[in-house]
Amino acid sequence: MSRAVDATRRVLPPLVVGVLFLVLWEAAVKGFDLKPYFLSAPSKIWEQFTGNFDLVWGAARVSGTNALVGLVLGAIVGAVMSLALSRYRTLGDLVTPLAIALNAIPIFVLVAVLNNMFAITSEVPRRVMVTLVVYFIVLVNVAKGLTQVNGTHVELMKSYAASDFEILRKVRVPNATPYFFTALRIAAPAAVITAFVSEYFGGSQNGLGSRITSNIANSKNAVAWAYVLGACLLGLVFYVVSSVLEGVATPGGTKQQDRERR
Amino acid sequence: MSAIEITSVSKVFNRGSANQVDALVGVDLSVASGEFVSLIGPSGCGKSTLLRLIANLLEPSEGSIVVNGKSPEQARLDQDYGMAFQQSGLFEWRTVAKNIELPLELKGWGKSERRQRALEMLDMVKLADFADHHPWQLSGGMQQRVAIARALAVQPSLLLMDEPFGALDEMTREHMQSELLNICRAQGTTVVFVTHSIPEAVYLSNRVVVMSPRPGRITRIVDVAIEGERSDATRDNTAFFAGITAVREALRGVEMNDHIRGIEDR
Amino acid sequence: MFVVSLLIVAVVWEFYKWVGPADGGKVFGWSLLPRSNDNAMPHVWDMLSRYGRPEVRGSDREIWRVVLAGAWFSFRLALVGFVLGSTLGIALAVLMARFKVAERGILPYLVVSQTVPLIALAPLVVSWGGKLEIFGYEWPRWLSASVLGAFLAFFPVSVGTLKGFTSPPGASLELMQSYAASWWQTLRRLRFPAAVPFMVPALKLAASSSVIGVVVAEISTGLKGGIGRLIIEYGRQATSDPAKVFTAVFGAALLGLTMAGFVALADLWMMRNRPKETAA
Repeated sequence: MSRAVDATRRVLPPLVVGVLFLVLWEAAVKGFDLKPYFLSAPSKIWEQFTGNFDLVWGAARVSGTNALVGLVLGAIVGAVMSLALSRYRTLGDLVTPLAIALNAIPIFVLVAVLNNMFAITSEVPRRVMVTLVVYFIVLVNVAKGLTQVNGTHVELMKSYAASDFEILRKVRVPNATPYFFTALRIAAPAAVITAFVSEYFGGSQNGLGSRITSNIANSKNAVAWAYVLGACLLGLVFYVVSSVLEGVATPGGTKQQDRERR
Repeated sequence: MSAIEITSVSKVFNRGSANQVDALVGVDLSVASGEFVSLIGPSGCGKSTLLRLIANLLEPSEGSIVVNGKSPEQARLDQDYGMAFQQSGLFEWRTVAKNIELPLELKGWGKSERRQRALEMLDMVKLADFADHHPWQLSGGMQQRVAIARALAVQPSLLLMDEPFGALDEMTREHMQSELLNICRAQGTTVVFVTHSIPEAVYLSNRVVVMSPRPGRITRIVDVAIEGERSDATRDNTAFFAGITAVREALRGVEMNDHIRGIEDR
Repeated sequence: MFVVSLLIVAVVWEFYKWVGPADGGKVFGWSLLPRSNDNAMPHVWDMLSRYGRPEVRGSDREIWRVVLAGAWFSFRLALVGFVLGSTLGIALAVLMARFKVAERGILPYLVVSQTVPLIALAPLVVSWGGKLEIFGYEWPRWLSASVLGAFLAFFPVSVGTLKGFTSPPGASLELMQSYAASWWQTLRRLRFPAAVPFMVPALKLAASSSVIGVVVAEISTGLKGGIGRLIIEYGRQATSDPAKVFTAVFGAALLGLTMAGFVALADLWMMRNRPKETAA
């Protein structure tokens, strides 16, 4: 009985807030007769979204593919590179300040440069951009997972006269696996955002970002909002999938690792 | 007049639901002014709950509590008591002196008066040199001394302590026990002290209240019959050992009926 | 060390130029390799020397002045956005800490919002510029950029601050209760100082988010005076003047670093009385 009460207590307030928000929005647009170039009513947005669903889906696929390709590539390269980083400390000292600095910079502006290096219709600049962004996120996190291991575990392995490679295999990599999936969860929304924002710099016009700007330029704001909704849904899907992956890949967390050791 | 009067007090959590807990049932206790009383018992016996009822951090489900002739709420509002916990609970962003000044700030004391009182308190716990240090620069024992100084800053007549020495090593612990007694003797403070340690309870107290769980209640009150002032010599005193044995047996009586862990026998 | 890694990047760049195909290449049939001729990938020294030369032929304004001015313009917008967003974020965190209902209703949205590309709203917000009037004041175009920056900065700050507000251990809260302290007193003396270590990473994220918001807004409109516009402009001129766009890109990098440095200084000041964290 109390379980149901707890569940409602948790779900009800955000639900109420969400519904209230939409109602107020709709009322404000209708009541104050707000011009469409300022805000479109939720009802209109939904209309355009369902009406143009094919187009939105198509654009989402383009942006989404770019994000996905970059995510996968960046994750793989990042993970591989982090192995090198954990092995050679000087490499780590070189790369870490670079990674920290790049975190602060709006790195996506490099797309302007990348666009020149490839054909104008290519999606590759966006993918390279996403790969770069994901690469650094995964690199830093997995390196942390490989180096910040329980000191006692390492001492134990050394007492078994285990080689560095064996320690890597049996202690560091299992320790780093949850970090990898956490990095993926962090990188997934970043990948979508980067794929998105990269489209503002010109080049191929098939993605969600370009559609939003072109619709605004044509004063079709409600349609633009529909694409925005599509973008948000895309980002949400990426996040949810990577979160689920994270949960599946690390059942029970450290407890499982202890069990394996026994 | 007794400092604390507890009559037929019960405390029930989650009454009526599947996870109802009878933390305390039918508790009667009277603490005289200037007395040092320990509460000891296995996990779940309600000793911390009882302390918090006195402190007005919890309300009793039944019964009444009178502190210094007032309701516990009034005693809290009047700052009649000081409280100390197992984690020293010092604010890491304040200096040692400023930590002691915290209750005084809330009472609206002026800046120079606060500073003066804080330094007096530090003198009392022999940490005057560390007034402008930060808590993380001090050892665990020193942090607890600061916490005690803070609890005494408003010069309360009552001190409520929840295993304040639990996180310290044995030697520091014994040292702190002596310090605490010196301070309380000088100030005439009434103390209610929750602990897991039998020797600690016997060393510090006039009376040891032995409690048991399921439901939480007082099983026995042991009078500690040690003559004169306590000192390091007391720890070799036969009366001291007799007290320990008495408390241990009272607890064993509890143990016979339940399988309990959590009592230190050092 | 940082300088060394930059040098290495430069070396790798030049190496690819030397080794890579001039007109781009195909790997497994995909046009993956970028063009390495001087037009697409200028030499590193060309990029650096470009700073000394004038922006436009015939103009006497050197490009480094132009880029610096653009970066400074954008920096001010980002700063306004950062301060605005952070302040509102903290205010909302206080509200949520005070009223549990508010926390339960709003927090889920705040958390979700950090996974959703809010930046998609950029063109919309930016389109308000020049068209909107509030109480007789026309919405200036630059305000859209700051508003977008504020919007992006707001979310991490409110989530992080709330986390900090709820971080003090039970014993500390009981202590304040034993002092009969009011909710506001507890907020001021316990929750707020306890929240600072949680606000520091949130503010760092907010700083970079506000820079991103401002730059994206500038790109969407070509906001005059900002570094975003310069990047787009110079990007278009890349075929004739390849090194130019790099000057603007470095300018944007400088912008980001300055903002990060500013927040880092603020963080140092905020954490001045705290124990130094030792690396694990």
